[in-house]
Amino acid sequence: MQTQDEPRILIIDDEETLRAAVKRILENEGFIVQAAANGTEGISFALKSDFDLALIDLKMPDINGIEVLREIRRKKPYTICYIATAYASYDTAIEATKLGADGYILKPFSPEELVSQLRKGLERRKLLLETERLRKEREESLLEVAFERTRLKTIINSIRDGVIVVNREGESVYCNQAALKLLNISFLPIGIPIIEHFPSEIVSLVETNFLGKESQTNSFTIELNTNPDPDKFIEATISPVPQSDNKLAGIVIVLRNITEFKKLEMAKSQFVSMVAHELKAPIAATIGFLDILTKPEIKVDDAQRMDFLKRSHFRLDSLLLMINDLLDISRMEMNKEAKEIKEISFEDILADILLLLKIDIDKKKIQVTFKNSAKKTVIRADQNEIHRLLLNLLSNAVKYNKENGTISIGLSDDVTFIILRVEDTGIGMKPDEHKRLFAEFFRAKNDKTKNIHGTGLGLSIVKRIVDSYNGKIECVSKYGEGSTFTLYFPKINNYKG
Amino acid sequence: MQTNRSILLVDDDCDIIAQLKALLELDGFKVYSTDNSKEALEIFNREKPDAVATDLMMEEMDSGFTLTYQIKKTEHGRKIPVVLMTAAAHATGYRFETYTAEEKEWLKCDAILNKPISVEDLEKKINEFYQTEKV
Repeated sequence: MQTQDEPRILIIDDEETLRAAVKRILENEGFIVQAAANGTEGISFALKSDFDLALIDLKMPDINGIEVLREIRRKKPYTICYIATAYASYDTAIEATKLGADGYILKPFSPEELVSQLRKGLERRKLLLETERLRKEREESLLEVAFERTRLKTIINSIRDGVIVVNREGESVYCNQAALKLLNISFLPIGIPIIEHFPSEIVSLVETNFLGKESQTNSFTIELNTNPDPDKFIEATISPVPQSDNKLAGIVIVLRNITEFKKLEMAKSQFVSMVAHELKAPIAATIGFLDILTKPEIKVDDAQRMDFLKRSHFRLDSLLLMINDLLDISRMEMNKEAKEIKEISFEDILADILLLLKIDIDKKKIQVTFKNSAKKTVIRADQNEIHRLLLNLLSNAVKYNKENGTISIGLSDDVTFIILRVEDTGIGMKPDEHKRLFAEFFRAKNDKTKNIHGTGLGLSIVKRIVDSYNGKIECVSKYGEGSTFTLYFPKINNYKG
Repeated sequence: MQTNRSILLVDDDCDIIAQLKALLELDGFKVYSTDNSKEALEIFNREKPDAVATDLMMEEMDSGFTLTYQIKKTEHGRKIPVVLMTAAAHATGYRFETYTAEEKEWLKCDAILNKPISVEDLEKKINEFYQTEKV
């Protein structure tokens, strides 16, 4: 077996006896030797494997030794090549070294002479390889640094928040794509004072807290004025970049688009003020009645007193209903994970609810028809939620229906959904009412609805429940004729239980 | 303070109407009432009341404004006090005021009372209107 440490020598010579003699001498020295009888064979051997050294005869019948040398040099630059020649002359020696031979050996040569020359050549080979290894290593680490830089740049450019680096003199040093977009500029020249391109709030904050300071450890967050786009909100966080000795090296500014957050915040406060307004109305009405009833100077007769008390009672009852609905909504928002999931039958719950609504259905003499063509109506869900969902849906069909009206219920399924269709002959909705159908506290106000009571939260709860199971609900409605709600409830969901 | 004036009350909360009506009647008002702005305009044109007090948010967010606008367009409407009753200041943070003639002209009403309103305030606004008219 060959090992890396044993020098590998190639002898190219057309003289068979010389070839054999050299081979023997070198093998005795512990070298691994291969011999080629002519130039063509020599080139082919040299290229096939990696020799440390080649000893090439200058004069061969097929190809000239110089040609062989040239060919080997081209493909194997680190194989040491020696030219052997009997026609020793200054010129051939010069020519051979010019063409890249590492040396020449004069024929005839003594074994000692040959071995000592070759050992020098092998030393040279070692140096060459070591140099090459170092060169490669350096190249690789340079590549790595370049790659690292590109990668960092790509990462920073991919961040959706804007990143801007500013030096101690207040000049821009770096800025990613998102920053340009957020600042609404197409290009930020590097090395210019930020005052020329940046929003004044940032500039003044940087000037007051960073520029000319030895050190700064605090970060500052401000909201930018985004005129002329009032619907856009940008937050800037300005932080120091410290040197190793904690002195200020520069500033990094991170810009965030907080529009969505602001929208949520706005929706939340709108919801709160809506809730407050809705809660206030029944309380105000009740206080109004109590004021009249408790002031001795206001005279009311018994019938009126009883009427006022009953009205107060009714308002407080509906207030309680509304508060319960609100609690349900907040429970749904807070405990998304707290569903009690088990296998339940859509069909059974539907039957329960029809029973529950029977009194109201009979009172209005409403005809209910129920068609079931579903193959499977068992789902995994929270029983209370499905009960609530179907109750709200069906009680609306009763509540907003006319006397002697009808409710057609159709239950069917496809691969993905259980489909429930509830069609009523109620008052229906106008297009603009339809749009706000699932919004909190929205109740169509017209002379047809004024005697129908509700919290305005029923369908909003329905929508929340349906959404939480990734289902969907659609409504088709014609004002004065009726509404049809179609509920698509997924047969499979991710809820565990 | 007894009066023999008539007033039209408009509010979609029938309980608020019941209360105001009871109190105003005690003070001698003849009270017309309705829960929607469409009927309100009909009553206004028919009965020509000495005052109108209307809620702002009824069928629509601005039903009250539309109603006062239509009332103030009529010759009779310009002769009588029209009062807007609203909880909007609390609900929305927007405050409407009727301190100056411009504001009154803008809002097409003579006074704004924040809910819950007191009958004393309402009567005061009505009296003020008629006193200024005389001057």
